[in-house]
Amino acid sequence: MATDWVSLATQLIWIVLFILIFTGANQKIQMRLWSYDIRNKLSIIKSYLEQDRVRVEKQLKNLGVKTPDLLIKRAMDFFIIQPVNIEPTDIIKRLEHLIITGDKSFKKMVEQAIPKATKYERSLVETGLSIVGVMNQIYKIVRHYLLSGEKENNWILLMQLEMAMPQIMRIVETYHKSLDAFLTGTPIGDSVGPLVAYKLIELGRVISKKVVEDTSITELWLDDRRIYVIKAEGPGSNVGRPGHVLYDLVEELKGGVDLVITIDAALKLEGEETGEIAEGIGAAIGDPGPEKIAIERATTKYGIPLKALVIKMDLGEAIHIMKKEIYEAGEKALEYVRKIIIESTKPKSTIIVAGIGNTLGVPG
Amino acid sequence: MIFDQNTMLILTLIALAILVMQLYMEYRRKPKQAKYIPKELIVCKKCGYEAERDYEPGDFISLVKGKCPKCDGELVIKAIYSVKLEERKT
Repeated sequence: MATDWVSLATQLIWIVLFILIFTGANQKIQMRLWSYDIRNKLSIIKSYLEQDRVRVEKQLKNLGVKTPDLLIKRAMDFFIIQPVNIEPTDIIKRLEHLIITGDKSFKKMVEQAIPKATKYERSLVETGLSIVGVMNQIYKIVRHYLLSGEKENNWILLMQLEMAMPQIMRIVETYHKSLDAFLTGTPIGDSVGPLVAYKLIELGRVISKKVVEDTSITELWLDDRRIYVIKAEGPGSNVGRPGHVLYDLVEELKGGVDLVITIDAALKLEGEETGEIAEGIGAAIGDPGPEKIAIERATTKYGIPLKALVIKMDLGEAIHIMKKEIYEAGEKALEYVRKIIIESTKPKSTIIVAGIGNTLGVPG
Repeated sequence: MIFDQNTMLILTLIALAILVMQLYMEYRRKPKQAKYIPKELIVCKKCGYEAERDYEPGDFISLVKGKCPKCDGELVIKAIYSVKLEERKT
């Protein structure tokens, strides 16, 4: 008797399975499961976004802003439209123009809201608002694809989104945690380039110093060579315009430069060690294009050797508080730079060293 | 194809065991996130005295942070970095 029941149940299961497969209902169930999972993750993103928004709001209130909501709303939806790329003529100039205009407009917006804050405080607020903006953008895009997928019964779209969610969540968590550093002004992993540049300045005998477009140029004498150190002006959250400034400096020196070295944090591949140092050729800078091309153009015009030194780390390490391993790698990189300079140039040579990255927490 | 009760029970148990194993492996696969705390390394420019302290918001590299307990020279922040919490306990 019991065997009959088991047999009946087995057959019923098979029949149900066949019906599900032939009517496509199994995909609908799968779609529901994906949709449910994405919704859960989306609510996590929303809670992160809300937490970050509240933290930035508090910071603005501490700086005397009475209605921080207005500024946050404005900054959250701020965007830059990419230039036309089917006509490549002048694309770098157009892109540079848009980036500079966007940057200036954003800074002006913050300055108007907190006129009494110092440049350092303003820079922290600007980055905090940018992070909230990025989180908001990710939230909106994920929500858009989820709702579109559900509306159109597009299970392929939902499947793609479900597969991409772990990566998206990792990026969101990275940005969420990075706010700690940007609200307190602690050096981040990406500050390692400016940190090496700053340590180099400390070692040498400083001859002159000037600041152009949020970027400092320090002329110093070290190891019997004239070294120009370029880095974003610190200790605020600032990346400066190292490419543009380097181009102008090379022109000012009429191409009389024997070597250009760029030092930057680089994203490591999975399996690579954090803090690994690698030497190479080219401009180590991760901007959208204008700064990098300026370095390449300046060195190509006068045939100046262009070397790069990178310190490896992942995205999280690059925008979170600098790990001790990365700081120690910076110390090693400093010695490495000096070694390259001595090996590649003769005494009395002129060298430009550019420490690329956000100079948060690093002065000079 | 008709299975007797024992066969069904064994099959169900095997399926359950596979499910539990899969869940356990998935749990093991997730890397545990280590906690990091920010610290600052302060040095005396005069006598070279070094000490690691808790980071205070707003501090930055090269900031003067009081007097040296040994020679009364200026204490300067040499580095700011984060260290693993587990490492500190051991």
